[in-house]
Amino acid sequence: MSSIPRSLSQSGVGLRLPHIEEAVAARPNAGWFEVHPENFLANPHATELLQELARSYPIAIHTVGLSVGSASGLDRRHLARVRSLVDRIDPVLVSGHLAWSTHQGEYLNDLLPLPYTAETLAVVTRHLQEVQDGLGRPFLLENPSCYLGFTGSTMTEVQFLSELVDRSGCQLLCDVSNVCLSAHNMGYDAVAYLEGLPAHAVRELHLGGFTAEEDDSRPGHAVLIDTHSTRVAETAWDLYTHAVARFGATPTLIEWDNEIPSLGTLLEEAARADQIAQRTLSRESAHALTR
Amino acid sequence: MPSLAEVQQQMRNAVVTGDANGIGALVTGGGDALRRLAIHQRHYRASLMAALMGRFKATAWLVGSEAVESAAATFVREQPPVVLCLAEYGEAFPQHLSRHVATNRVPYLAAFATLDWHLGRLAVAVDRPAVARAVWAALPPAGLVDLTVTCQPGLYYFTADRPIDELMRLYLTDAAPDRLALPETRAWVEVRGNRGRLTFARLAAGEFAFRKAAHTSAPLGGAVEQAFAADDAFDPSAALANLIDANLVTDLEIAPGARHS
Repeated sequence: MSSIPRSLSQSGVGLRLPHIEEAVAARPNAGWFEVHPENFLANPHATELLQELARSYPIAIHTVGLSVGSASGLDRRHLARVRSLVDRIDPVLVSGHLAWSTHQGEYLNDLLPLPYTAETLAVVTRHLQEVQDGLGRPFLLENPSCYLGFTGSTMTEVQFLSELVDRSGCQLLCDVSNVCLSAHNMGYDAVAYLEGLPAHAVRELHLGGFTAEEDDSRPGHAVLIDTHSTRVAETAWDLYTHAVARFGATPTLIEWDNEIPSLGTLLEEAARADQIAQRTLSRESAHALTR
Repeated sequence: MPSLAEVQQQMRNAVVTGDANGIGALVTGGGDALRRLAIHQRHYRASLMAALMGRFKATAWLVGSEAVESAAATFVREQPPVVLCLAEYGEAFPQHLSRHVATNRVPYLAAFATLDWHLGRLAVAVDRPAVARAVWAALPPAGLVDLTVTCQPGLYYFTADRPIDELMRLYLTDAAPDRLALPETRAWVEVRGNRGRLTFARLAAGEFAFRKAAHTSAPLGGAVEQAFAADDAFDPSAALANLIDANLVTDLEIAPGARHS
């Protein structure tokens, strides 16, 4: 068994079920792993393997079902199940999405968009406080990938996230690929978005692949779809450089959820993130010395 | 702007049923926001159908992927998940499928699909430590009738009028013959799963009734009564010894309201 020390300073990869037995057996050179609890809560065998892996690697938990934006309230049974996994794994980070996915007891298996209004702000703030109380630790909120906005929104996404940080004490997970995708789809400046986020609250970065397809709403144009089924796009790597310069050394994760490749491919992407981060941070340090 | 609850109800209707009435005026994005909304509609449908197709692979092998896909398309519209772990979605699909597919050629379709669903659950189960023989040996014989047991989590008991367990074994071993006769014959089957390993066992009617009742937390005395009702020749001592030998029991409890001696 490998005794290589693992840490969040090296990029991690999203660990999906097809790779878990290999990860336990081979102990790959990843800094850390992140898992979706929804893949484990109904899978005792995978949970057993995850607990074994947690003895050697930092593990982060990234929920896709907590639905902090649901007007009909949090699913407290699910929150309790996530808490039970948190207690067993003792993750280094716990995160979820600025979105809604449950409605009146139904689970829509998608991260659906929210109008950025005072009412939504109150709902999400209340739920974030409940989640953080329920889990007994800070919760990182991820910026969404957007195809839609709302005519009734009264604030920008960056303003909305900043308010949530102030009101709930939550922290932020900046999905750099989501910024790239949403900026393209919704027509705003990705770098300005990063500049607007409260840097002190950003505790994790995500990078995942997206796919361009014909935008039915604008013939002749492309819409970017958050497929997590391909390598990180060059535009997202470019934006990642800005993100590292803006937020400093921050735990970074490679996500790949569909058409999942070999673990080796994920580790290649993670190594590229490490190279960019090291290069950017060295350059920032050099600039600081010469200022 | 309607309330958040109203917006989400309208968006839920658009995503699940395709009814986008009312939501169009509320959303922006691209040249036609409703076409952007279709991205979410498509994801909902495709991801849940993929989950069902992944969960009912043996069923698709039996009746063909097209039939299962077609039933899955209506199922996800009519019965959205009420669980947040997709591995738990689809328990009601076998009944939906059997209404959707002409079952005169496959009268055992619902039973086979139900077995398929349970195999997914059993395949990821993990055995717990069994109650030690010494604990059983220390129990006063008179107290056994009031004892309830907790069984291993990876168990499924079913009866069938056709040998669907044999059919499933053929699928699992990739050994399907060109033709297979499935005569009408009663089978009482226990399936056990542990860390990815599945085992099938045919039981006598009495032992099946005993184990199934014990598995559903009936007191052992009641389980024995059910076993005798199913099989006059049932041997309770042998059945209990088999239960212990198979390491099926993980916990013991004296039933509430039990007689104390």
